[in-house]
Amino acid sequence: MLREEELQRYARQIMIRGIGVEGQEKLKKARVVIVGSGGLGSPIAIYLAAAGVGTIRIIDQDTVDLSNLNRQVLHWQKDIGRRKVDSAAEKLGQLNHDVVIDPIAETIDASNIGRLAAGFDLIVDATDNLETRFLLNAAAFQQKVPFIHGAVRGFEGRVTTIVPGQTACLRCIYRGPLPQEKTPVIGVTPAVVGCLQATEAIKYIVGVGQLLTNQLLVYDGLKMRFTTLMIRRDPNCPQCGQAGEVKT
Amino acid sequence: MSATINIPIFLQAFAGDKDSHQEEGQTVGEALANLCQRYPEMKRLLFDKQGKLFSYIGIYLNGTDAYPDELAKPVKDGDVIHVLMLIAGG
Repeated sequence: MLREEELQRYARQIMIRGIGVEGQEKLKKARVVIVGSGGLGSPIAIYLAAAGVGTIRIIDQDTVDLSNLNRQVLHWQKDIGRRKVDSAAEKLGQLNHDVVIDPIAETIDASNIGRLAAGFDLIVDATDNLETRFLLNAAAFQQKVPFIHGAVRGFEGRVTTIVPGQTACLRCIYRGPLPQEKTPVIGVTPAVVGCLQATEAIKYIVGVGQLLTNQLLVYDGLKMRFTTLMIRRDPNCPQCGQAGEVKT
Repeated sequence: MSATINIPIFLQAFAGDKDSHQEEGQTVGEALANLCQRYPEMKRLLFDKQGKLFSYIGIYLNGTDAYPDELAKPVKDGDVIHVLMLIAGG
């Protein structure tokens, strides 16, 4: 049941066909875990909190550094040296005091991902490395919840939504290690990609529209072009293929 | 057969600063080989020493993932090959 203040706060989105009061209540009940509170995690968390997602767990072990501030818009100059989850929780709480923000300053690994993702409806990928992404992909299968992947480099971005057991997964498209590098990035790229991920999350929670499943959305900021490529389940995928699931 | 090869931003610097190229070939592999002949640096970025595509390179033929055996996939006039270098920044 939405309070009068919530009806006012969300009035413009409640007007949208497909959301309405019922959709807003679904958002309020939803529990989303966002792994990473940097370039991608900032816009994802801001827009999910603004939309009224009831519980948002943010996991990040890192502290704010000056070099983060070109893109990680939840963190400001005054936050340098603070834990990112504390900085994020403060801003998000000020944006929407009705949302429960659950900050977790832990490094994700195989031993804790199951515990940290348990009981959530959705996992959103805002990490900066492939190893953690594979752990999240596996956790989504273990928890049987969707996993919304996003990645950026420079002016390029990628998004796909994975529904375990139904769609291609991250390991169907990322088949091996990537070259080690310090990723170049301009803040507007994770802003675009993070907003796309947040859109997918809202659509899934409310049950409106079509998810970006079995598709890889490729964003080219230099040409301002979006290309949708079709991806398929790989029968030999170590996560979702016939060989069986990778355990976390 | 002539196919269009689309190149992602990162690799364009090694392919004449162009985002697409027209290449001849009966297969995806032949079209990519012709591209690499014109831009030898691309060969180092796409293929390992055994001539196998790096696992972080994705090939999409007419908008669909061409994996597995991407290089053996036949191409016809007007086909579009997307070369993607997978990325993991956040």
